[in-house]
Amino acid sequence: MPSSHPMMPEASHDEAAEQLFVRDFKTWLSGEVEADLASLADALDPGPGSNQRDEEVYEALHGSDVFRSWASLRRTSQELLWDAIERSVNRQAADLDAAAQAAPPVGSVTLDPDMACPAYLGDADVHLMPGGYMRDTPGVAQGAIMDRGGAVYMLGRNGGLMNDMRGHSVVAHLFARFPDARPLRILELGCGVGTSLCAVASHFPDAEIGGLDVGASMLRYAHARAAHMGHAVHFIQADAEATKLPSDSYDLVFSAALFHETSEAAIARIVAESLRLLRPGGIAIHLEVPQRYEEMDRWNRVRGRIEHDFNNEPAWKEAISADYVAALTMAGFADVAAGYQDSTAAPTRDGGGFSATSKGVFRSWFVASGRKPG
Amino acid sequence: MTEPHLRRPIAGLDPAEDRLLAMIAALASEVTILRERLDTVERLAEAAGVLSRAEIEAFAPLPEAGAERDALRRRAIEKIFRPLRDASRTMKA
Repeated sequence: MPSSHPMMPEASHDEAAEQLFVRDFKTWLSGEVEADLASLADALDPGPGSNQRDEEVYEALHGSDVFRSWASLRRTSQELLWDAIERSVNRQAADLDAAAQAAPPVGSVTLDPDMACPAYLGDADVHLMPGGYMRDTPGVAQGAIMDRGGAVYMLGRNGGLMNDMRGHSVVAHLFARFPDARPLRILELGCGVGTSLCAVASHFPDAEIGGLDVGASMLRYAHARAAHMGHAVHFIQADAEATKLPSDSYDLVFSAALFHETSEAAIARIVAESLRLLRPGGIAIHLEVPQRYEEMDRWNRVRGRIEHDFNNEPAWKEAISADYVAALTMAGFADVAAGYQDSTAAPTRDGGGFSATSKGVFRSWFVASGRKPG
Repeated sequence: MTEPHLRRPIAGLDPAEDRLLAMIAALASEVTILRERLDTVERLAEAAGVLSRAEIEAFAPLPEAGAERDALRRRAIEKIFRPLRDASRTMKA
């Protein structure tokens, strides 16, 4: 199991210390303070008599100076993260572009300079990442920022610098539900820098692999990253809601933690698009964060609002509230199931691990899957 | 650190701002102490021919050293941001 890859931006002595500080600072802020804020949220709960309990608690929390300090520092931690990563990547931008040029000539990038930015990405930079997913820096810089920043943000709990356990977990889910599946054409919607897609590709060396996302720099970086890892991946700049790719052409279409970065309407359209792209009998797997709104305590419900307002998560609540069995069934899928897949770095065909119970954040992922009839 | 028995409020100062200033001052203290000590070590070591500064840039810790450095960093975070945790422990709804 590789611990990094040739395109990963390096960190100098001081940059490494700076990034580890962000990781540990974030851990401290949630570990040491959030339990107290959760108690405060419970105390501020107006009770079932209110039909706006989350909203009322959220507003009341702002009356607490502890909450305001915590919210301020949490956002600061995220701004420190991007500041540290962006300066580090810019310092080595020329080397990263040279490394991208030196990648083996496999796979491809197809850009669409006229692609319209989806509204939910144009409104705000997701995760406060400067410039957002669509920022077209010269060369591969924005992709490098996203890759390194994402790995640091995940605090080492999603496969370290590879940040790829979601991809392996998608394959584990495919094997758990369809143990005989041997997909020969695979597409990821919203592939980012390809962290999950390369993990999926590693299990199907004979398959043709495609990845789709919105940002040119991100896709150039993803292509170089995949090629250096030995994966021939075809990256396409397109909107996952309307890809312009041919119908009935893939054996496996998947997304990995994409929905909460979109919108309620987009989630339904992406589910429908995944059905259209599949050949009859093909399988769609949509993986999301393992939290479910209806099972959350007051603080975590309000926490979703905080992520929305102060970390620019466009559709956190929508994605964790959606009824995916109904959504996939209404779109026309058969054999629909939703539940939790154990997080893994090493899926096997007889590994199972799909159940109705979450083991917690980073130990499980929520998954919804179905088969195209025919 | 133990809280002083009497810590008079400064009239008109917002508690959040108070904490922020406390954190920044602690942070500044931590950073300048560390930077100055480091500078001393580097200069003495280079003068004694023990190491060059390029070696410091290239250093990567072994796992055990990495764990010790994690502990040092987390202690610093505890120290700097303690005011927020103290406030959250004692707050009333």
